[in-house]
Amino acid sequence: MVADADASDRAPALRTRGRRPSTLLGIRTELAVRWRIVLGVLGVASVFALWAYAAYRPQAGSSVLVPSPARTWHALSQMWSAGTLRSDLAASAQRVAIGYSISVALGIVLGIAIGSFASVEAFLEPQLGFLRYIPATALTPLFLLWLGIDESPKIWLIAVGTVFYNVLMIADVARNVPREMLNAAYTLGAGRRTILRRVILPHSWPGIIDVARINLAAAWLMLVVAELLAAQKGLAYQINLAQRFRAVDTMFALLIVFGVIGLISDLALRALRNRLAAWARP
Amino acid sequence: MTLHKKLEVRGVSKTFTGRKASIAALEGVDMHVDHGELVCLLGASGCGKSTLLSIIGGLEPTTEGEVRIDDELVIGPGADRGMVFQAYSLFPWLSVSRNIEFGLEVARWPKARRRERVDELLGIMSLREFAGSLPRELSGGLRQRVAIARALGPEPDVLLLDEPFGALDAETKRHMQDFLLSVWHRTGTTILMVTHDVEEAIYLSQRIYVLASRPGHVSAVIDVPFGANRGPTVKRDPRFLDLRDELGDLLVS
Ligand SMILES: Nc1ncnc2c1ncn2[C@@H]1O[C@H](COP(=O)(O)OP(=O)(O)O)[C@@H](O)[C@H]1O
Ligand SMILES: [Mg+2]
Repeated sequence: MVADADASDRAPALRTRGRRPSTLLGIRTELAVRWRIVLGVLGVASVFALWAYAAYRPQAGSSVLVPSPARTWHALSQMWSAGTLRSDLAASAQRVAIGYSISVALGIVLGIAIGSFASVEAFLEPQLGFLRYIPATALTPLFLLWLGIDESPKIWLIAVGTVFYNVLMIADVARNVPREMLNAAYTLGAGRRTILRRVILPHSWPGIIDVARINLAAAWLMLVVAELLAAQKGLAYQINLAQRFRAVDTMFALLIVFGVIGLISDLALRALRNRLAAWARP
Repeated sequence: MTLHKKLEVRGVSKTFTGRKASIAALEGVDMHVDHGELVCLLGASGCGKSTLLSIIGGLEPTTEGEVRIDDELVIGPGADRGMVFQAYSLFPWLSVSRNIEFGLEVARWPKARRRERVDELLGIMSLREFAGSLPRELSGGLRQRVAIARALGPEPDVLLLDEPFGALDAETKRHMQDFLLSVWHRTGTTILMVTHDVEEAIYLSQRIYVLASRPGHVSAVIDVPFGANRGPTVKRDPRFLDLRDELGDLLVS
Protein backbone atom coordinates (compact mmCIF):
# COMPACT_ATOMS: atom_id res chain seq x y z
CA MET A 1 0.00 0.00 0.00
CA VAL A 2 2.68 2.39 1.09
CA ALA A 3 4.77 1.65 -1.96
CA ASP A 4 1.72 2.25 -4.19
CA ALA A 5 1.06 5.70 -2.70
CA ASP A 6 4.70 6.51 -3.24
CA ALA A 7 4.52 5.59 -6.93
CA SER A 8 1.45 7.70 -7.62
CA ASP A 9 3.08 10.67 -5.90
CA ARG A 10 5.85 10.76 -8.42
CA ALA A 11 4.57 12.30 -11.64
CA PRO A 12 4.65 9.56 -14.24
CA ALA A 13 6.97 10.49 -17.12
CA LEU A 14 4.76 11.73 -19.96
CA ARG A 15 5.31 9.71 -23.07
CA THR A 16 5.81 11.74 -26.24
CA ARG A 17 4.70 11.43 -29.81
CA GLY A 18 6.49 12.77 -32.85
CA ARG A 19 9.85 14.43 -33.15
CA ARG A 20 10.54 17.90 -31.80
CA PRO A 21 11.58 20.19 -34.69
CA SER A 22 15.13 21.50 -34.57
CA THR A 23 15.54 25.14 -33.55
CA LEU A 24 18.36 26.02 -35.93
CA LEU A 25 18.24 23.35 -38.61
CA GLY A 26 14.53 22.83 -39.17
CA ILE A 27 13.80 22.87 -42.90
CA ARG A 28 11.87 26.01 -43.76
CA THR A 29 11.15 26.85 -40.15
CA GLU A 30 11.07 30.44 -38.98
CA LEU A 31 14.17 31.61 -37.16
CA ALA A 32 13.82 33.75 -34.04
CA VAL A 33 15.09 37.31 -34.51
CA ARG A 34 17.63 36.75 -31.75
CA TRP A 35 19.14 33.84 -33.65
CA ARG A 36 19.05 35.75 -36.89
CA ILE A 37 21.20 38.50 -35.40
CA VAL A 38 23.58 36.12 -33.63
CA LEU A 39 24.14 34.08 -36.80
CA GLY A 40 24.56 37.19 -38.94
CA VAL A 41 27.22 38.57 -36.62
CA LEU A 42 28.91 35.17 -36.47
CA GLY A 43 28.93 34.99 -40.27
CA VAL A 44 30.62 38.36 -40.64
CA ALA A 45 33.05 37.57 -37.83
CA SER A 46 34.06 34.27 -39.42
CA VAL A 47 34.91 36.05 -42.66
CA PHE A 48 37.12 38.48 -40.75
CA ALA A 49 38.69 35.62 -38.87
CA LEU A 50 39.58 33.82 -42.07
CA TRP A 51 40.89 37.03 -43.56
CA ALA A 52 42.98 37.78 -40.49
CA TYR A 53 44.36 34.25 -40.45
CA ALA A 54 45.38 34.50 -44.12
CA ALA A 55 46.99 37.88 -43.55
CA TYR A 56 48.85 37.16 -40.32
CA ARG A 57 49.84 33.53 -40.71
CA PRO A 58 53.56 33.18 -40.04
CA GLN A 59 54.54 31.57 -43.35
CA ALA A 60 53.17 34.59 -45.21
CA GLY A 61 56.75 35.79 -45.54
CA SER A 62 57.78 39.12 -46.82
CA SER A 63 55.82 39.28 -50.07
CA VAL A 64 52.33 40.26 -48.99
CA LEU A 65 49.60 38.47 -50.94
CA VAL A 66 46.82 39.08 -48.47
CA PRO A 67 46.73 42.48 -46.76
CA SER A 68 45.58 42.69 -43.18
CA PRO A 69 42.20 44.30 -42.43
CA ALA A 70 44.10 47.21 -40.87
CA ARG A 71 46.22 47.81 -43.97
CA THR A 72 43.18 47.57 -46.18
CA TRP A 73 41.39 50.13 -44.06
CA HIS A 74 44.43 52.35 -44.25
CA ALA A 75 44.51 52.09 -48.06
CA LEU A 76 40.82 52.89 -48.21
CA SER A 77 41.08 56.01 -46.05
CA GLN A 78 44.11 57.16 -48.01
CA MET A 79 42.22 56.91 -51.29
CA TRP A 80 39.35 58.74 -49.70
CA SER A 81 41.40 61.65 -48.37
CA ALA A 82 43.36 61.94 -51.62
CA GLY A 83 40.02 62.35 -53.41
CA THR A 84 40.77 59.65 -55.96
CA LEU A 85 38.19 57.28 -54.54
CA ARG A 86 35.48 59.86 -54.95
CA SER A 87 36.31 60.64 -58.57
CA ASP A 88 36.80 56.97 -59.50
CA LEU A 89 33.54 56.07 -57.82
CA ALA A 90 31.76 58.90 -59.61
CA ALA A 91 33.18 57.86 -62.99
CA SER A 92 32.22 54.21 -62.56
CA ALA A 93 28.81 54.91 -61.07
CA GLN A 94 28.00 57.31 -63.87
CA ARG A 95 28.84 54.71 -66.53
CA VAL A 96 26.72 52.11 -64.84
CA ALA A 97 23.87 54.54 -64.21
CA ILE A 98 23.66 55.67 -67.84
CA GLY A 99 24.32 52.30 -69.45
CA TYR A 100 22.02 50.40 -67.16
CA SER A 101 19.24 53.00 -67.45
CA ILE A 102 19.28 52.52 -71.21
CA SER A 103 19.17 48.79 -70.68
CA VAL A 104 16.26 48.89 -68.24
CA ALA A 105 14.30 51.35 -70.40
CA LEU A 106 14.73 49.11 -73.45
CA GLY A 107 13.93 46.12 -71.28
CA ILE A 108 10.64 47.63 -70.14
CA VAL A 109 9.52 48.70 -73.61
CA LEU A 110 10.56 45.53 -75.45
CA GLY A 111 9.78 43.17 -72.58
CA ILE A 112 6.23 44.46 -72.11
CA ALA A 113 5.69 44.42 -75.88
CA ILE A 114 6.95 40.84 -76.20
CA GLY A 115 4.98 39.66 -73.18
CA SER A 116 1.79 41.30 -74.40
CA PHE A 117 1.77 40.88 -78.18
CA ALA A 118 2.33 37.48 -79.79
CA SER A 119 3.19 39.31 -83.02
CA VAL A 120 6.05 41.25 -81.45
CA GLU A 121 7.25 38.07 -79.79
CA ALA A 122 7.23 36.21 -83.12
CA PHE A 123 9.14 39.06 -84.76
CA LEU A 124 11.84 39.41 -82.08
CA GLU A 125 12.23 35.85 -80.87
CA PRO A 126 14.76 34.66 -83.49
CA GLN A 127 17.08 37.67 -83.05
CA LEU A 128 16.91 37.55 -79.27
CA GLY A 129 17.46 33.81 -79.21
CA PHE A 130 20.60 34.28 -81.28
CA LEU A 131 22.01 37.44 -79.74
CA ARG A 132 21.58 36.44 -76.10
CA TYR A 133 24.17 33.69 -76.50
CA ILE A 134 26.86 36.00 -77.82
CA PRO A 135 28.96 36.92 -74.76
CA ALA A 136 28.72 40.68 -74.59
CA THR A 137 32.34 40.87 -73.46
CA ALA A 138 33.32 39.50 -76.89
CA LEU A 139 31.89 42.68 -78.38
CA THR A 140 34.41 44.89 -76.60
CA PRO A 141 36.96 45.14 -79.46
CA LEU A 142 34.19 45.95 -81.93
CA PHE A 143 32.76 48.62 -79.67
CA LEU A 144 36.16 50.21 -79.18
CA LEU A 145 36.60 50.22 -82.93
CA TRP A 146 33.19 51.69 -83.65
CA LEU A 147 32.77 54.09 -80.77
CA GLY A 148 36.32 55.21 -79.92
CA ILE A 149 37.81 54.94 -76.46
CA ASP A 150 35.88 57.59 -74.55
CA GLU A 151 32.74 57.03 -72.50
CA SER A 152 30.33 55.74 -75.14
CA PRO A 153 31.82 52.26 -75.74
CA LYS A 154 31.81 51.64 -71.99
CA ILE A 155 28.22 52.79 -71.62
CA TRP A 156 27.05 50.72 -74.58
CA LEU A 157 28.93 47.69 -73.39
CA ILE A 158 27.05 47.89 -70.10
CA ALA A 159 23.74 48.44 -71.90
CA VAL A 160 24.23 45.62 -74.40
CA GLY A 161 25.65 43.26 -71.81
CA THR A 162 22.52 43.45 -69.69
CA VAL A 163 19.69 44.32 -72.06
CA PHE A 164 18.90 40.76 -73.16
CA TYR A 165 18.44 39.56 -69.61
CA ASN A 166 16.24 42.54 -68.87
CA VAL A 167 14.09 42.11 -71.98
CA LEU A 168 13.52 38.40 -71.56
CA MET A 169 12.88 38.54 -67.82
CA ILE A 170 10.53 41.54 -68.08
CA ALA A 171 8.67 39.75 -70.88
CA ASP A 172 8.05 36.95 -68.40
CA VAL A 173 6.84 39.44 -65.83
CA ALA A 174 4.34 40.85 -68.35
CA ARG A 175 3.18 37.36 -69.30
CA ASN A 176 2.33 36.72 -65.67
CA VAL A 177 -0.53 39.23 -65.60
CA PRO A 178 -3.54 36.95 -64.97
CA ARG A 179 -5.78 36.45 -67.97
CA GLU A 180 -8.88 37.19 -65.85
CA MET A 181 -7.52 40.63 -64.96
CA LEU A 182 -7.13 41.48 -68.64
CA ASN A 183 -10.59 40.09 -69.39
CA ALA A 184 -12.08 42.13 -66.54
CA ALA A 185 -10.56 45.27 -68.05
CA TYR A 186 -11.83 44.37 -71.53
CA THR A 187 -15.37 43.88 -70.25
CA LEU A 188 -15.16 47.26 -68.53
CA GLY A 189 -14.65 48.78 -71.96
CA ALA A 190 -10.87 49.19 -71.87
CA GLY A 191 -8.93 49.22 -75.14
CA ARG A 192 -5.38 48.02 -75.74
CA ARG A 193 -3.70 51.23 -74.69
CA THR A 194 -5.66 51.45 -71.45
CA ILE A 195 -4.90 47.83 -70.66
CA LEU A 196 -1.17 48.30 -71.28
CA ARG A 197 -1.00 51.49 -69.24
CA ARG A 198 -3.47 50.74 -66.50
CA VAL A 199 -3.35 46.96 -66.05
CA ILE A 200 -0.19 45.37 -67.45
CA LEU A 201 2.24 48.10 -66.40
CA PRO A 202 1.00 48.56 -62.81
CA HIS A 203 0.80 44.81 -62.32
CA SER A 204 4.34 44.43 -63.65
CA TRP A 205 6.11 47.20 -61.67
CA PRO A 206 7.19 45.09 -58.71
CA GLY A 207 8.47 42.38 -61.06
CA ILE A 208 10.29 44.92 -63.22
CA ILE A 209 12.07 46.38 -60.21
CA ASP A 210 13.07 42.90 -59.06
CA VAL A 211 14.46 42.10 -62.51
CA ALA A 212 16.41 45.37 -62.54
CA ARG A 213 17.77 44.57 -59.09
CA ILE A 214 18.93 41.08 -60.07
CA ASN A 215 20.60 42.13 -63.33
CA LEU A 216 22.37 45.14 -61.82
CA ALA A 217 25.20 42.78 -60.84
CA ALA A 218 25.75 42.02 -64.53
CA ALA A 219 26.02 45.75 -65.22
CA TRP A 220 28.94 46.07 -62.79
CA LEU A 221 30.54 43.02 -64.36
CA MET A 222 30.42 44.70 -67.75
CA LEU A 223 31.81 47.88 -66.23
CA VAL A 224 34.88 46.03 -65.02
CA VAL A 225 35.52 44.60 -68.47
CA ALA A 226 35.12 48.03 -70.05
CA GLU A 227 37.42 49.77 -67.61
CA LEU A 228 40.13 47.13 -67.79
CA LEU A 229 40.50 47.77 -71.50
CA ALA A 230 40.45 51.49 -71.90
CA ALA A 231 39.97 54.00 -69.14
CA GLN A 232 41.77 56.72 -67.23
CA LYS A 233 39.42 56.64 -64.28
CA GLY A 234 37.15 54.28 -62.49
CA LEU A 235 37.16 51.65 -59.76
CA ALA A 236 38.12 48.72 -62.00
CA TYR A 237 40.78 50.83 -63.69
CA GLN A 238 42.30 51.49 -60.27
CA ILE A 239 42.28 47.80 -59.41
CA ASN A 240 44.10 47.08 -62.62
CA LEU A 241 46.58 49.84 -61.90
CA ALA A 242 47.16 48.53 -58.37
CA GLN A 243 48.30 45.25 -59.85
CA ARG A 244 51.35 46.96 -61.35
CA PHE A 245 52.45 48.08 -57.90
CA ARG A 246 51.41 44.81 -56.25
CA ALA A 247 49.26 47.00 -54.01
CA VAL A 248 47.02 44.26 -52.69
CA ASP A 249 45.71 46.51 -49.94
CA THR A 250 44.33 48.91 -52.56
CA MET A 251 42.81 46.02 -54.48
CA PHE A 252 41.10 44.71 -51.37
CA ALA A 253 39.83 48.17 -50.49
CA LEU A 254 38.33 48.59 -53.97
CA LEU A 255 36.70 45.16 -53.85
CA ILE A 256 35.06 46.17 -50.61
CA VAL A 257 33.82 49.36 -52.26
CA PHE A 258 32.22 47.27 -55.03
CA GLY A 259 30.50 45.10 -52.45
CA VAL A 260 29.19 48.05 -50.49
CA ILE A 261 27.81 49.74 -53.62
CA GLY A 262 26.02 46.54 -54.56
CA LEU A 263 24.55 46.19 -51.10
CA ILE A 264 23.33 49.79 -51.02
CA SER A 265 21.75 49.70 -54.48
CA ASP A 266 20.06 46.40 -53.65
CA LEU A 267 18.54 47.87 -50.50
CA ALA A 268 17.53 51.03 -52.36
CA LEU A 269 15.73 49.07 -55.09
CA ARG A 270 14.00 46.92 -52.50
CA ALA A 271 12.79 50.04 -50.73
CA LEU A 272 11.60 51.49 -54.04
CA ARG A 273 9.67 48.32 -54.78
CA ASN A 274 7.97 48.39 -51.40
CA ARG A 275 7.04 52.05 -51.79
CA LEU A 276 5.85 51.82 -55.37
CA ALA A 277 3.96 48.58 -54.91
CA ALA A 278 2.82 48.25 -51.34
CA TRP A 279 0.00 46.04 -52.64
CA ALA A 280 2.49 43.39 -53.69
CA ARG A 281 4.42 43.29 -50.43
CA PRO A 282 4.48 39.71 -49.18
CA MET B 1 -43.28 46.56 -70.22
CA THR B 2 -42.96 44.42 -73.32
CA LEU B 3 -40.46 41.63 -73.03
CA HIS B 4 -37.95 41.43 -75.80
CA LYS B 5 -34.85 39.40 -76.35
CA LYS B 6 -32.01 41.31 -74.75
CA LEU B 7 -29.46 38.61 -75.43
CA GLU B 8 -29.63 35.94 -78.06
CA VAL B 9 -27.25 33.06 -78.72
CA ARG B 10 -27.84 31.48 -82.12
CA GLY B 11 -26.39 28.14 -83.12
CA VAL B 12 -23.10 28.72 -81.35
CA SER B 13 -20.43 26.04 -81.69
CA LYS B 14 -16.90 26.26 -80.41
CA THR B 15 -13.98 23.98 -81.14
CA PHE B 16 -10.59 24.51 -79.53
CA THR B 17 -7.92 23.33 -81.93
CA GLY B 18 -4.93 22.07 -80.05
CA ARG B 19 -1.65 20.78 -81.39
CA LYS B 20 -2.62 17.13 -81.18
CA ALA B 21 -6.39 17.03 -80.92
CA SER B 22 -9.24 19.48 -81.09
CA ILE B 23 -11.86 19.73 -78.37
CA ALA B 24 -15.47 20.39 -79.27
CA ALA B 25 -16.50 22.54 -76.31
CA LEU B 26 -19.91 23.68 -77.56
CA GLU B 27 -22.22 22.52 -80.30
CA GLY B 28 -25.32 24.26 -81.64
CA VAL B 29 -26.21 26.23 -78.55
CA ASP B 30 -29.36 28.33 -78.80
CA MET B 31 -30.59 30.42 -75.92
CA HIS B 32 -31.84 33.84 -75.04
CA VAL B 33 -32.36 36.16 -72.08
CA ASP B 34 -35.21 38.64 -72.11
CA HIS B 35 -34.89 42.23 -70.98
CA GLY B 36 -34.68 42.38 -67.18
CA GLU B 37 -34.59 38.62 -66.74
CA LEU B 38 -32.29 36.65 -64.48
CA VAL B 39 -31.31 33.40 -66.19
CA CYS B 40 -28.93 30.67 -65.07
CA LEU B 41 -26.72 28.36 -67.12
CA LEU B 42 -26.47 25.14 -65.15
CA GLY B 43 -24.05 22.34 -65.87
CA ALA B 44 -21.38 20.08 -64.47
CA SER B 45 -17.82 21.33 -64.55
CA GLY B 46 -16.12 21.07 -67.93
CA CYS B 47 -19.33 21.19 -69.95
CA GLY B 48 -18.52 24.53 -71.56
CA LYS B 49 -20.29 27.07 -69.33
CA SER B 50 -17.33 29.43 -69.07
CA THR B 51 -16.63 29.09 -72.76
CA LEU B 52 -20.20 30.12 -73.59
CA LEU B 53 -20.06 33.07 -71.21
CA SER B 54 -16.72 34.22 -72.66
CA ILE B 55 -18.21 34.04 -76.13
CA ILE B 56 -21.16 36.17 -75.02
CA GLY B 57 -18.72 38.57 -73.38
CA GLY B 58 -16.86 38.79 -76.69
CA LEU B 59 -13.65 37.48 -75.14
CA GLU B 60 -13.60 34.38 -77.30
CA PRO B 61 -14.67 34.04 -80.95
CA THR B 62 -17.23 31.44 -82.00
CA THR B 63 -16.42 28.68 -84.44
CA GLU B 64 -19.96 28.82 -85.73
CA GLY B 65 -23.03 30.84 -84.89
CA GLU B 66 -23.43 34.28 -83.40
CA VAL B 67 -24.39 36.27 -80.34
CA ARG B 68 -26.65 39.31 -80.43
CA ILE B 69 -27.40 41.96 -77.87
CA ASP B 70 -30.51 44.01 -78.69
CA ASP B 71 -30.27 42.47 -82.15
CA GLU B 72 -26.73 43.77 -82.65
CA LEU B 73 -23.93 41.35 -83.49
CA VAL B 74 -21.27 40.83 -80.81
CA ILE B 75 -17.76 41.00 -82.31
CA GLY B 76 -15.68 41.70 -79.22
CA PRO B 77 -15.75 42.70 -75.58
CA GLY B 78 -17.42 45.93 -74.49
CA ALA B 79 -18.70 47.79 -71.46
CA ASP B 80 -22.28 46.90 -72.42
CA ARG B 81 -21.64 43.38 -71.08
CA GLY B 82 -20.29 43.60 -67.56
CA MET B 83 -18.61 40.45 -66.36
CA VAL B 84 -17.80 38.94 -62.97
CA PHE B 85 -15.31 36.10 -62.78
CA GLN B 86 -14.91 33.34 -60.24
CA ALA B 87 -11.92 34.98 -58.55
CA TYR B 88 -8.68 36.93 -58.96
CA SER B 89 -9.98 39.61 -61.28
CA LEU B 90 -9.87 42.70 -59.04
CA PHE B 91 -6.93 45.02 -59.64
CA PRO B 92 -4.84 44.43 -56.51
CA TRP B 93 -3.07 47.81 -56.68
CA LEU B 94 -6.31 49.80 -56.64
CA SER B 95 -8.50 50.47 -53.62
CA VAL B 96 -12.09 49.26 -53.59
CA SER B 97 -13.47 52.58 -54.79
CA ARG B 98 -10.79 52.96 -57.45
CA ASN B 99 -11.56 49.45 -58.69
CA ILE B 100 -15.21 50.43 -59.01
CA GLU B 101 -14.23 53.68 -60.71
CA PHE B 102 -12.08 51.94 -63.35
CA GLY B 103 -14.86 51.35 -65.86
CA LEU B 104 -16.19 54.87 -65.37
CA GLU B 105 -12.78 56.35 -66.11
CA VAL B 106 -12.47 54.22 -69.21
CA ALA B 107 -15.87 55.52 -70.33
CA ARG B 108 -14.65 59.07 -69.62
CA TRP B 109 -17.39 59.99 -67.20
CA PRO B 110 -16.80 63.45 -65.71
CA LYS B 111 -15.24 63.39 -62.27
CA ALA B 112 -18.29 64.57 -60.33
CA ARG B 113 -20.51 61.93 -61.92
CA ARG B 114 -17.92 59.24 -61.26
CA ARG B 115 -17.82 60.18 -57.57
CA GLU B 116 -21.58 60.02 -57.36
CA ARG B 117 -21.80 56.66 -59.11
CA VAL B 118 -19.04 55.08 -57.01
CA ASP B 119 -20.74 56.31 -53.88
CA GLU B 120 -24.07 54.95 -55.06
CA LEU B 121 -22.56 51.53 -55.78
CA LEU B 122 -20.70 51.45 -52.46
CA GLY B 123 -24.11 52.03 -50.87
CA ILE B 124 -25.97 49.40 -52.91
CA MET B 125 -23.26 46.85 -52.18
CA SER B 126 -22.82 47.83 -48.51
CA LEU B 127 -19.14 48.49 -49.14
CA ARG B 128 -18.85 52.04 -47.74
CA GLU B 129 -16.59 51.12 -44.85
CA PHE B 130 -14.19 49.32 -47.22
CA ALA B 131 -13.95 52.12 -49.80
CA GLY B 132 -10.25 52.70 -49.10
CA SER B 133 -9.19 49.09 -48.58
CA LEU B 134 -7.05 47.09 -50.96
CA PRO B 135 -8.59 43.86 -52.34
CA ARG B 136 -6.13 41.70 -50.43
CA GLU B 137 -7.45 43.08 -47.17
CA LEU B 138 -10.96 41.79 -47.93
CA SER B 139 -12.59 38.39 -47.49
CA GLY B 140 -13.70 36.37 -50.52
CA GLY B 141 -17.34 37.42 -50.21
CA LEU B 142 -16.46 41.10 -50.01
CA ARG B 143 -14.16 40.81 -53.00
CA GLN B 144 -16.94 39.36 -55.11
CA ARG B 145 -19.19 42.21 -54.02
CA VAL B 146 -16.57 44.65 -55.24
CA ALA B 147 -16.32 42.74 -58.52
CA ILE B 148 -20.08 42.97 -58.98
CA ALA B 149 -20.08 46.67 -58.12
CA ARG B 150 -17.26 47.26 -60.60
CA ALA B 151 -19.08 45.38 -63.35
CA LEU B 152 -22.30 47.33 -62.66
CA GLY B 153 -20.43 50.66 -62.70
CA PRO B 154 -20.75 51.64 -66.35
CA GLU B 155 -24.42 50.53 -66.36
CA PRO B 156 -24.10 47.50 -68.63
CA ASP B 157 -27.06 46.16 -70.62
CA VAL B 158 -26.29 42.66 -69.42
CA LEU B 159 -24.42 41.37 -66.39
CA LEU B 160 -22.58 38.08 -66.95
CA LEU B 161 -21.50 36.12 -63.87
CA ASP B 162 -19.22 33.07 -64.06
CA GLU B 163 -19.67 30.99 -60.90
CA PRO B 164 -19.18 34.13 -58.82
CA PHE B 165 -19.94 32.38 -55.53
CA GLY B 166 -18.27 29.08 -56.32
CA ALA B 167 -15.30 29.73 -54.04
CA LEU B 168 -17.33 30.94 -51.05
CA ASP B 169 -18.40 29.02 -47.96
CA ALA B 170 -22.07 28.03 -47.69
CA GLU B 171 -23.10 30.83 -45.33
CA THR B 172 -21.43 33.62 -47.32
CA LYS B 173 -22.83 32.12 -50.49
CA ARG B 174 -26.40 32.36 -49.15
CA HIS B 175 -25.79 35.98 -48.21
CA MET B 176 -24.43 36.79 -51.63
CA GLN B 177 -27.35 35.12 -53.39
CA ASP B 178 -29.85 37.29 -51.51
CA PHE B 179 -27.61 40.20 -52.22
CA LEU B 180 -27.61 39.52 -55.93
CA LEU B 181 -31.40 39.28 -55.92
CA SER B 182 -31.72 42.64 -54.17
CA VAL B 183 -29.27 44.23 -56.60
CA TRP B 184 -31.24 42.77 -59.48
CA HIS B 185 -34.46 44.24 -58.07
CA ARG B 186 -32.94 47.64 -57.50
CA THR B 187 -31.14 47.97 -60.81
CA GLY B 188 -33.36 45.95 -63.15
CA THR B 189 -30.26 44.73 -64.97
CA THR B 190 -30.52 41.71 -67.23
CA ILE B 191 -28.44 38.96 -65.64
CA LEU B 192 -27.01 35.72 -66.99
CA MET B 193 -25.28 33.62 -64.38
CA VAL B 194 -23.26 30.43 -64.70
CA THR B 195 -23.40 27.91 -61.88
CA HIS B 196 -23.01 24.23 -61.16
CA ASP B 197 -25.14 24.52 -58.02
CA VAL B 198 -28.70 23.28 -58.63
CA GLU B 199 -30.27 25.04 -55.64
CA GLU B 200 -28.56 28.28 -56.50
CA ALA B 201 -29.93 28.11 -60.03
CA ILE B 202 -33.51 27.49 -58.84
CA TYR B 203 -33.33 30.05 -56.06
CA LEU B 204 -32.06 32.85 -58.28
CA SER B 205 -33.34 32.44 -61.77
CA GLN B 206 -36.53 32.71 -63.73
CA ARG B 207 -35.31 30.28 -66.34
CA ILE B 208 -32.60 27.65 -66.32
CA TYR B 209 -30.66 26.35 -69.29
CA VAL B 210 -29.19 22.97 -68.47
CA LEU B 211 -25.95 22.31 -70.30
CA ALA B 212 -24.77 18.76 -70.97
CA SER B 213 -21.21 18.04 -71.94
CA ARG B 214 -19.10 16.56 -74.72
CA PRO B 215 -19.74 18.68 -76.64
CA GLY B 216 -21.63 21.23 -74.56
CA HIS B 217 -25.23 21.59 -75.64
CA VAL B 218 -28.51 22.71 -74.09
CA SER B 219 -30.19 19.55 -72.80
CA ALA B 220 -33.18 21.17 -71.11
CA VAL B 221 -34.82 24.54 -70.56
CA ILE B 222 -36.71 24.88 -67.30
CA ASP B 223 -39.03 27.71 -66.32
CA VAL B 224 -38.84 28.35 -62.62
CA PRO B 225 -42.38 28.73 -61.26
CA PHE B 226 -41.59 31.32 -58.57
CA GLY B 227 -42.14 35.05 -58.96
CA ALA B 228 -39.39 37.62 -58.84
CA ASN B 229 -40.07 38.45 -55.19
CA ARG B 230 -39.14 35.18 -53.58
CA GLY B 231 -37.62 34.78 -50.15
CA PRO B 232 -35.57 32.00 -48.60
CA THR B 233 -38.88 30.26 -47.78
CA VAL B 234 -39.24 29.02 -51.38
CA LYS B 235 -36.47 26.58 -50.57
CA ARG B 236 -39.06 24.61 -48.56
CA ASP B 237 -41.73 24.79 -51.28
CA PRO B 238 -42.50 21.27 -52.60
CA ARG B 239 -42.12 22.53 -56.17
CA PHE B 240 -38.62 23.71 -55.30
CA LEU B 241 -37.74 20.27 -53.97
CA ASP B 242 -39.22 18.51 -57.01
CA LEU B 243 -37.33 20.81 -59.35
CA ARG B 244 -34.16 20.21 -57.41
CA ASP B 245 -34.50 16.44 -57.81
CA GLU B 246 -35.39 16.74 -61.47
CA LEU B 247 -32.40 18.95 -62.22
CA GLY B 248 -30.15 16.75 -60.13
CA ASP B 249 -31.12 13.78 -62.29
CA LEU B 250 -30.58 15.80 -65.46
CA LEU B 251 -27.08 16.72 -64.36
CA VAL B 252 -26.13 13.15 -63.57
CA SER B 253 -27.44 11.60 -66.79
N1 LIG C 1 -8.57 27.88 -74.07
C1 LIG C 1 -8.90 26.57 -74.17
N2 LIG C 1 -8.17 25.73 -74.94
C2 LIG C 1 -8.48 24.43 -75.05
N3 LIG C 1 -9.53 23.85 -74.45
C3 LIG C 1 -10.31 24.62 -73.67
C4 LIG C 1 -10.03 26.02 -73.48
N4 LIG C 1 -10.97 26.53 -72.65
C5 LIG C 1 -11.79 25.50 -72.33
N5 LIG C 1 -11.39 24.36 -72.95
C6 LIG C 1 -12.07 23.06 -72.86
O1 LIG C 1 -13.43 23.23 -73.15
C7 LIG C 1 -14.23 22.48 -72.27
C8 LIG C 1 -15.18 23.39 -71.52
O2 LIG C 1 -14.48 24.19 -70.62
P1 LIG C 1 -15.18 25.31 -69.74
O3 LIG C 1 -15.97 26.20 -70.61
O4 LIG C 1 -14.15 25.96 -68.91
O5 LIG C 1 -16.14 24.44 -68.82
P2 LIG C 1 -16.93 24.86 -67.49
O6 LIG C 1 -16.82 26.34 -67.31
O7 LIG C 1 -18.33 24.40 -67.73
O8 LIG C 1 -16.31 24.10 -66.38
C9 LIG C 1 -13.28 21.73 -71.34
O9 LIG C 1 -13.14 20.41 -71.84
C10 LIG C 1 -12.00 22.48 -71.46
O10 LIG C 1 -10.92 21.61 -71.31
MG1 LIG D 1 -15.98 27.41 -65.67
